[in-house]
Amino acid sequence: MAQISSTEQPNMKQVDLMTLNIQQLSTLKQQLDQELSLFQESLASLKMAQTKFQNSGESLEKVGPDSDGKEILVPLTGSMYVPGKLHETNNVLIDIGTRYYAEKDIDAAKDYFKRKIQFVTEQMEKIQILGLEKSKIRDAIVEIVELKLQQQQN
Amino acid sequence: MSEDLQRKIQSELDSFKNTQKELQKAISTRQQLDSQLNENMIVKDELEILPKDAKVYKSVGPVLIKTELVEARQNVGKRMDYIKKEISRVDDLITSIEKKQDVHREALQKLQHQFQQAQVKAALHA
Repeated sequence: MAQISSTEQPNMKQVDLMTLNIQQLSTLKQQLDQELSLFQESLASLKMAQTKFQNSGESLEKVGPDSDGKEILVPLTGSMYVPGKLHETNNVLIDIGTRYYAEKDIDAAKDYFKRKIQFVTEQMEKIQILGLEKSKIRDAIVEIVELKLQQQQN
Repeated sequence: MSEDLQRKIQSELDSFKNTQKELQKAISTRQQLDSQLNENMIVKDELEILPKDAKVYKSVGPVLIKTELVEARQNVGKRMDYIKKEISRVDDLITSIEKKQDVHREALQKLQHQFQQAQVKAALHA
């Protein structure tokens, strides 16, 4: 229990937490706290990305061949709209990143968002597992610090 | 003598702090490059799976410009090469800054040791 797993980085040594002094332990705890808050941040932004992809995927459900010619309001600014007509509703333009846009038909677009959501979800799961591991180590450190403090008092 | 030592410690401490700042800057550049490389990799994968006749546009300011798929693939590939080069350059920079930091840290420790000894001596004489 009192050992840090070294599966992620091969150049990391296994360290028995009991051999560290309180100073070292608190530094380690600080580091872990920082990492954990970074994980929380990443999870939040991944969650945001996931929602965006989900929303885009859902709005694709509303366009199809039968929406050709339908009227829409196109935003010119945040508060000004002009009427327009939908045209060529079988294809959509998708922002694939680094300022590139690709034209896809509805099914390919749906598939794109499905893949993206899956990708983001996988990343989130990975981070959650890592975070769980780190917080376990953090708890172990806190326990050992308390133990050492008790030993000092006796 | 003691004032001289203090001045030395101060200047050493300043340069130590400067290298720390440099290191921080290099590390954040490195992280930025890393995320750029990741994004480009994702775009490259996406471009690879597009059919040959797919229409691809590049946004330049407020307009979309039509580009050939082959060209887009080449551009992304080139950018990835450039970013990889930058990453190895920044990695070298980080190692050299870390070395510099170690030198300053050692010098600082030595000076502090000297300072403590001087204080002990002064206390004995007093």
